[in-house]
Amino acid sequence: MFCFQCEQTARQGGQAGCASAKGVCGKDEVTADLQDLLIYQLKGIGELSERLHLHGTSDQEADSFILYGLFTTLTNVNFNRAVFTRLIADAARLRDRLRVTLETVGDALQELSAAAYFVPAADLAGLLAQANIASIQAGVELVGEDVIGLRALILYGLKGVAAYAHHAEVLGQKRQDVYKGVAHALAFLAHDPADIPTLLEEALALGRLNLIVMEALDAANTGAFGMPTPTRVRTTPVQGKAILVSGHDLRDLHNILEATKGIGINVYTHGEMLPAHGYPELHAYPHLVGNYGTAWQNQQQEFADFPGPIVMTSNCLIEPRAAYRNRIFTAGPVGWPGLRHIQNDDYSQVLQAAQAIPGFVETAPEKTITVGFAREAVLGAAEAVIEAVKSGAIKHFFLIGGCDGAAPGRNYYTDFADHAPADTVLLTLGCGKYRFNSHEFGSIGPLPRLLDIGQCNDTYSAIQIASALAEAFGCGVNDLPLTLVVSWFEQKAAAVLLTLLALGLRNVRLGPSLPAFLTPALLNVLVEKFGVQPITSADADIAAALSRAA
Amino acid sequence: MKVTLLTQDEVRLELACEPAQTVLDAAEAAGIYPLAMCRDGQCGQCGAHAVAGTYSMRPHNLAALPPGIESILLCSCLPQSDLTISLPYDDAQLPRHSVPSRRAVIEALHPAGTSAVSLILRLQADTTLGQAADFLPGQYMEISLPGTSIRRAYSLANLPNWDGTLEFLIRLVPGGAFSGWLAQVAKRGDILSVRGPLGQFTVDETSPRARCLVGGGCGFAPLLSMLRQMAAFQDTTPVHLIYGVNRSEDALPEELFTELREALPQLQTALAVWHGTPGVNAVHGTAAEVLAAHLALAGELPDIYVCGPPKMVEAVLAVAHRAGVPDAQIFFERL
Repeated sequence: MFCFQCEQTARQGGQAGCASAKGVCGKDEVTADLQDLLIYQLKGIGELSERLHLHGTSDQEADSFILYGLFTTLTNVNFNRAVFTRLIADAARLRDRLRVTLETVGDALQELSAAAYFVPAADLAGLLAQANIASIQAGVELVGEDVIGLRALILYGLKGVAAYAHHAEVLGQKRQDVYKGVAHALAFLAHDPADIPTLLEEALALGRLNLIVMEALDAANTGAFGMPTPTRVRTTPVQGKAILVSGHDLRDLHNILEATKGIGINVYTHGEMLPAHGYPELHAYPHLVGNYGTAWQNQQQEFADFPGPIVMTSNCLIEPRAAYRNRIFTAGPVGWPGLRHIQNDDYSQVLQAAQAIPGFVETAPEKTITVGFAREAVLGAAEAVIEAVKSGAIKHFFLIGGCDGAAPGRNYYTDFADHAPADTVLLTLGCGKYRFNSHEFGSIGPLPRLLDIGQCNDTYSAIQIASALAEAFGCGVNDLPLTLVVSWFEQKAAAVLLTLLALGLRNVRLGPSLPAFLTPALLNVLVEKFGVQPITSADADIAAALSRAA
Repeated sequence: MKVTLLTQDEVRLELACEPAQTVLDAAEAAGIYPLAMCRDGQCGQCGAHAVAGTYSMRPHNLAALPPGIESILLCSCLPQSDLTISLPYDDAQLPRHSVPSRRAVIEALHPAGTSAVSLILRLQADTTLGQAADFLPGQYMEISLPGTSIRRAYSLANLPNWDGTLEFLIRLVPGGAFSGWLAQVAKRGDILSVRGPLGQFTVDETSPRARCLVGGGCGFAPLLSMLRQMAAFQDTTPVHLIYGVNRSEDALPEELFTELREALPQLQTALAVWHGTPGVNAVHGTAAEVLAAHLALAGELPDIYVCGPPKMVEAVLAVAHRAGVPDAQIFFERL
């Protein structure tokens, strides 16, 4: 096992990376090796799929499989080796079918990568013996760490793209340009690229693809559930039976709300599901009563204390404690050995669990927070915002986006929000906001100082807001009094970072630590060429941002 | 004094311990509930190892200590300095809540073979725990005989569920206080006190290896729960069941095994009959002997789960060790 795809990566000793029997996230070496093999197969499938797209046709099952397969390998998504042995077998079958299809359209199948020919072993021991060829570090002695780091940046960014694309796909957004773009990136990686300028170019191309994907996801979410509007969300329990829905998948939440309609079970959001309350079609369900808990890394205690079943629709899952092991359910790409998995949208066992467990015995005093400041809500107030900037009432915007995590140093984001001057606006995205979103930040005129745009998945909305403000002020986005403070944890943040770089957005503060796969040379490229700045201290970074703006 | 509990996955939990306070009491005072049953140095449930520091032990059963040097029982261990203790399980298995005590009604009681009964209880709804029967396959419950201080531990044979059903296989011991009561007095509708779930004899779901389950007599109950769980989760891990009985008439009904094989297509079963004629679909010998034959033919050494009478468990452990199965791959529970 070798894995350095997320912030949690083991960093003791010379080489950063999880390389023992179990990664810091809880992924064991068997699962990690099987994930590597699946990725290797997906490169081969991607190569064949891209050719099919170039021939003007496609295989929908293969295209969807690629997204789903990549998504399962994100940090804190699927830890179940049985799932991966099954996916590896499915991948081989799909690969064979794609080859046959290509032959039928006259493709001579020339110059394919080794991944496109890979035959997985029939048993687990055989698969594990094959895993070395699929390691992210394969070939490092030939190409060096900078090339491996760039390949990793593209692969991990691609995993993030696939996760967003899968969320959009389950809501009906099946875009051929997305499938083709994802297949292209895999095909590129399948040939072990080693030319650094080409790798950088592909990384930016992936960033552009991610913008399309996030646009599709935005269209999927707003198309299905309406345009988010500012909405007060209860954060304290209501007496009664309860189900907790975590992760990012709004379709799963909607299904659960439908399944629990009128039967006396309240539904709570957890973690990244919080922004769901801002969507009118979801908010309309009276039994979507509130949000429970905080960010993902606190789930072991929060889930143990929650008096009902829990449904994990996407990342981030961490090892379930015995206290709630029987009442946590996984859905979609998520998995853990020994946990019940919801299949075919059958929520009957979740409902049974909710009925059997007492729920909250009393209603706590009401506390609320406000969410739903997506692009339309913010731009709806554009005139007031522009006026406030012109009058000097708003000096600067800080977009604090990305994940929370358990690593020391993340209090930077709390300090940043708390210490930002009263004439600045804080825009938030992702679950990093849980560190400070219950704090009191006041208002600037009619505008609350803290505006939550949504999930990490809603970066498109933030980009639209920034673009619209730039247009209104007649300047470029980089000339706006705007600083992006990105808290990276996993692969979706890598995808978003590539999009910001591809759009030419500078003034990005990256932290709390830098990805282990970014070598000093690669970091230097990001700093020199793209203006990315590692975080220092909250006060110093606030001061630097304000002095730039001044 | 400061006590540091170190789990297998290297989570460190620090707690304060008063003079003359046991580590177990100190942990529970801190809201951490390490596994413990008798709390009197007898059962071995709270076995652990001291890693650093000094301590004394209250009077205890030496046989209850886990193997290895500096072995302790948390319920009997009195720190004499700051003390670091290694626990034999991961943090996720370390309960943060006390073990629930509940009341349950006898719903059914009927013979299972010639020397055991099947007891089915239904938990009464609890204000904080509701109706759910929440446990892990392989765990057990403590059942108290009404109006007495007699308690017995029995493994659960069914799956965790939402209607409060607890299923046990209980061997009828001649003259046994609890089984005698079951055989002669108990009836449908009687109310019992149950405490649990308890125990660490659970499946290592993350292991990549095949499983070999070895049960003797009513030691089959937790294995049945594990197999039912595998069937319910469509777990495709190769699994071999060796089930030993003294005589063929002691065996549980064949339909039970047929059902399991239908639900778990990869399941291989072997019935070992120690005395007398083995009968159809059975072999002559002990479960340990059948295991030895199985391990001799196995390609990769499987994980071994064994539950049964103490002597049978010892024999199986000896066979497993002789075949080279590492301790980390052996999980056992003595009846």
